[in-house]
Amino acid sequence: MTDLAAEVLAGRPAAGARLIRWLEDGDARGRALLPRIHAAAGRAHVVGVTGPPGAGKSTLVDLLVAEERSRGRRVGVLAVDPTSPFTGGAILGDRLRMSRHALDAGVFIRSMGSRGAHGGLSRSTYDACLVLDAMGHEVIFVETVGVGQEEMDVVGLAHTTVILAVPGLGDEVQALKAGLLEAGEVIVINKADRDGFEQTRRHLELLLHLREGARPEGHWRTPLLVATASRGEGAAAIVDALDAHRAHLEAGGGFAAAATRRDERQFLSLARAALTDALLRGRGGALLAQVRDRSLDPYTAATRLAALLGGADPGVT
Amino acid sequence: MAAQRPLRVLLAKLGMDTHTVGITVVAHALREAGMEVIFTGLKQTPEAVASAAIQEDVDVVGISTLSAGHTRSLPRLARLLREQGAQDKLLVAGGVIPEEDVPLLEEAGYARIFTMGTDTREIVAYLVQWHRSQRDREPAA
Amino acid sequence: MSRPGNRIEPEASEAQEEAQRWERETRAPFVASHPERREAFVTQALKWPIQPLYTPADLDASGFDYARDLGYPGEYPYTRGTQPNGHRSSLWTMSQVTGFGKGEDWARRARYMLEQGLQGLILEHDLPTTNGYDSDNPLVEGEVGRAGLAVDSLEDLERAFDLPFERLKYLMSVCNAPQPVNLAMIIAALEKKGVDPRRFVVHIVNGILIEYTCVGRYIFPPVHGLRIATDCIEYIIRNHPNWAPISIISAQLQPAKANPVQELAFSMAIAMAYIDATLARGLPIDTIAPYFHFVVNVDMDFFEGICKLRAYRKVWARLMQERYGAKLPAALKIRMMTSPTTIALTLQQPLNNIGRLAIMATACALGGAGEAMTTPLHDEAHSLPAEEAIRVGAALQHIVAHETGVADTIDPLAGSYYVESLTKQIETAAMAEIDKIQAMGGALKAIETGYFQRALGREQYERNRDIEEGRRKWVGVNHLVVPGEKRQIEIFRADGRVEEEQVARLRELRARRDPEAVAQALEAVREAARTGANLVSPCLAAVKVYATHGELCDAMREVFGVHTPDSQLTGV
Repeated sequence: MTDLAAEVLAGRPAAGARLIRWLEDGDARGRALLPRIHAAAGRAHVVGVTGPPGAGKSTLVDLLVAEERSRGRRVGVLAVDPTSPFTGGAILGDRLRMSRHALDAGVFIRSMGSRGAHGGLSRSTYDACLVLDAMGHEVIFVETVGVGQEEMDVVGLAHTTVILAVPGLGDEVQALKAGLLEAGEVIVINKADRDGFEQTRRHLELLLHLREGARPEGHWRTPLLVATASRGEGAAAIVDALDAHRAHLEAGGGFAAAATRRDERQFLSLARAALTDALLRGRGGALLAQVRDRSLDPYTAATRLAALLGGADPGVT
Repeated sequence: MAAQRPLRVLLAKLGMDTHTVGITVVAHALREAGMEVIFTGLKQTPEAVASAAIQEDVDVVGISTLSAGHTRSLPRLARLLREQGAQDKLLVAGGVIPEEDVPLLEEAGYARIFTMGTDTREIVAYLVQWHRSQRDREPAA
Repeated sequence: MSRPGNRIEPEASEAQEEAQRWERETRAPFVASHPERREAFVTQALKWPIQPLYTPADLDASGFDYARDLGYPGEYPYTRGTQPNGHRSSLWTMSQVTGFGKGEDWARRARYMLEQGLQGLILEHDLPTTNGYDSDNPLVEGEVGRAGLAVDSLEDLERAFDLPFERLKYLMSVCNAPQPVNLAMIIAALEKKGVDPRRFVVHIVNGILIEYTCVGRYIFPPVHGLRIATDCIEYIIRNHPNWAPISIISAQLQPAKANPVQELAFSMAIAMAYIDATLARGLPIDTIAPYFHFVVNVDMDFFEGICKLRAYRKVWARLMQERYGAKLPAALKIRMMTSPTTIALTLQQPLNNIGRLAIMATACALGGAGEAMTTPLHDEAHSLPAEEAIRVGAALQHIVAHETGVADTIDPLAGSYYVESLTKQIETAAMAEIDKIQAMGGALKAIETGYFQRALGREQYERNRDIEEGRRKWVGVNHLVVPGEKRQIEIFRADGRVEEEQVARLRELRARRDPEAVAQALEAVREAARTGANLVSPCLAAVKVYATHGELCDAMREVFGVHTPDSQLTGV
C-alpha cells in the first residue's frame, strides 16, 4: 500500500483529496494519518471569507485566488455549502464560479457540505485545512455557508476573517452592527456598483470608527475596502490587507498563537467526544439506558458520568 | 459511521451546449436522495472536469451532453481520469446519446448511459445500488 | 385588479342561482353515483382548478365587460386580434427552422424549404458561433457546424446567402450573445449580394435577457448584454426601419417549464427592460414599441394555450397605453409568432407527435396565430430534420388553415364562458407578477438576483415529479407505453471534414487578410465598448476587413468581462 501521508506532504492532489474524504467520512484510516499531517502543517495563512447569502463570496474568492496566484503563491480553497437537514443531500455550487482555476496546478478547490454542523463550516473543515496546509498551500481560503451572525465558527479557524457586505440589504447592516463586524479583520463592500453603495459605506465607516476608537494603541486597524468582484475589481487591495494582517500577527506572535488556539479547541472538542464515547461504551452505558427509560434525569446522569472518571460506581449517588 | 457517508457526485456539462433542464432535475433528485452534488458549471473541458473530480474525490462523475461531440470528449475524460489514477470513480453519462454510440462509451469506461427521458428514480436507484456494492467491497474501516 | 362584480353584490344574480340549482338538483346526485374520474381537475401548467361547468355567472363574477375586456378585432385592447379582418384577408406566414453545417449546406437546405412553400427562414448558428468562439478555438472541438451554421467570418455568410432572394420575405437570425457582430455580418453579406435592404426583412432575435434567464448562451454580464442588445435595436430603428430588431422568445421560457403566467409576465418585464433602455437613447415610445415582436409557444393544454395568446395581446396593449403612454395603434398592437411547443413531443412513438402538433397548431390558430406560425418537426426530439418531416411539418399548417375552418371567422371562441374566464384569470395574475418584478427593479435586477431562474427551477422539478409519479398522463411516457420500445435517437454527426474544412478556411483567411486593418478595426470596437458608443458601426467596419467573429467577441470580452451567474443550475 502506498504511503498516503507522504504523498499528501509531497503535495499530490489525489492524495490530499482522498485524505479529506476519509476525514469527512469519519474513516479511521484518515484519523491515523493526522498526527503526521499536523506536524507538517502550521505554515499556511488561513483566511475566512464570510457574509450574507448573495454577497458574492465565491466570486470574490475566485478573484482573490487569481490575485494570490499572480503573487506566486499556492492556494487552497474550502467552500462550504449547506446540507439539507431533511435528506442529508446538498448541491455544492461554489466551485463553478472558480472554474477558471480548474487547470492551474497551484490551486486546489474542495467543496464541502455542512453535514449537520451549524457554525457555517462542517465538522471536518479544520482537518481539511490541515491537509491543504500540509500539502504546501500557502494561503487557504475558507468560504462559509452564508447565513447570519450565528454562523461564525470561521473566526476561530482563520488567522484573518474577511467580512463581505453588499449595498442594499438593510438587515445585513444590522447584522454587521450586532456582531459580525467585531469578528472581521478586513471588511469588504462587494458589488460597489450597486445602488445604495454610498449609504452602506458611510454606515460601515461610522461603525468601524466607533470601534477603532475604543481599541488600544497597536491593535490591528480593520480596513474597509471596496470590490466589484463581478468586474474583477478590488482584489489587489484586499490581498495587500491580508498580507498586512499576517505581518501584524507575525510581529506580535499572533500567527502561531492562532494555530495554538485552534489546536486547543480541537483537542477539547475531540477529548469531549472521545471521553464521552469511552464512558458510555463502558460502565456509563447504564446511565444512558436510565435516561432513556426516564428512570433518571439527564442532569443527575451527567454528574454521575463525570464522577465515573474518579472511579465512582455509576449506581451510587 | 463510514457506512452512512453521503455519495459524492460530480455533475458536469462538456462542450458548448447550455441546456440545463435535464441536469437541474437530476441534481435536485440526487440531493433529495441524500447525495452531495458538486456542479462544475457549463462549457467545461474534459481536462477541467477530470481535475475537479480528483480534487473533490467524488465517487461518481456524471456527464450531461445534449450536443457535444460526445464520442470524442467523453472517452477523453475517461482516459484523463485513468491516467491520473482516478479509475475507481464510477462514470455515467446522460442526455441525447444515440443507441449506437452506447457500446463505444461503455468501452471507454462509462458504466451506464442514461438516454433522454430516463426516470430520475432509475438514476437514483442505480447509484444507490452501486454505492451499496462498493461498501460491501470496502475494507471495514 | 380584483373582481369588482364579485363581492359588491349582496345577493346572488339570477344566473348564479340557476347554476347553483343545476348543481344541486342535477349534477350532484349524478356524481354521487358516478364518481369523477380524477380527484381534482386542474389546468396543466398553472394547476388552476377547473370547474365542471362555466356559465354566465362566472363571467359576471370576474367582472367581465365586453367592451373593456374584448372590444373588436383591430381595436384596443386587441384581445380579439390585432388584424381587423382576422385571417380572412391573408393567412399567417408559415415558417420553419433550419440550420446545420457549412454555408453551402445550409443554403441547399434553405432552398429546399422555400420550395415547400415556406417564405421565411430561420438562420440558426452552431454553438461555437452562438457562444462567441471561432471554429479553431480548442474549447469547441467537435461542435463546429453541428447545431447550425458555423460563421467565423463574412466569407461564411456570403456562401450561405446563395439563396433566391426574390422569393424570400424574411430571414430571422438567432445569435443573441454576440449580436452586434452577427448583425454586422448579415448587413455586410446582404450588401455583397446586392440585396436591397428596403425590400427584405432581417429579423434579429436579439434575446439576450432570456438567455440569462434560462437558455444560458450568454457571454458578457447582464448589464452589458442589455447594452449591446440596445445598440442593435437603436441601429436598426435608425438605419433599417423596415427590419425587426427584437424578438422576445417567450417560447424559450417554456422548455424551462415556465407556466403561462410566468411566461407572459417574464416576457413582458423583459420587453420593458429593453424598452426602457431604448427610450434612454432618445427614441419615443410610439417609435420603439411597434418593433417589439414575441414568439409564443402553445402547449398541449388547449385552453391554457388559447387563453394565453389572447391575454398576451391585451396585456401588451394595456402596458403600452397605461405605463408608457403609447398612442399609435401600431404601438399598442402586439406582433406575435406562435408555435406548438417541442416539450410536448415525445421520443417514444414519435408518430404520435404529428397528432400533438396538429392539436397545438389548431390552438395557435384559435388563439389568433399572430402574423406567423412556425411548427417544429414530429421527430425533432430524436433526429435530424428529414425531408419528409419537413414536408409533414409544412403541410400541417396548411391543413389547419385550409381544412378546418378555424381561420374563417375571427376569434371564434370569444364569449365562451370558460375561455373568457381563463383569459381574464391569466391576465390578472400576469399583471400582478409584472408589478412584482417592476417593484424589485425590473427584469435586469430579477436576472441579476436570480429571481427568474429560481422560479423556473421550481417549476422544472415539479413538472418532472408529476410525470414520474403519474399525476400527469403522457402517452408513450407513462401511459399506453409500448413495452421494450427502442428509442431511436439520431443526431447530426459532425462530419469531421466539416470542422476540418472550416478551420482550414479560417486559417487561410487569417493568413490572407490585411493584419493592420484588422488590428485597427478591433481597437475601434474595444474603444466603442469602453465609451458606450454604438457597437454596430465599428463591428460592421471590422467584419468588412474580415476580422473574425471570435476576435470581435474577444475584443468585447476584454472590456466587459464574462458572466458567471450565481448558479448555472436553474432554481438552485
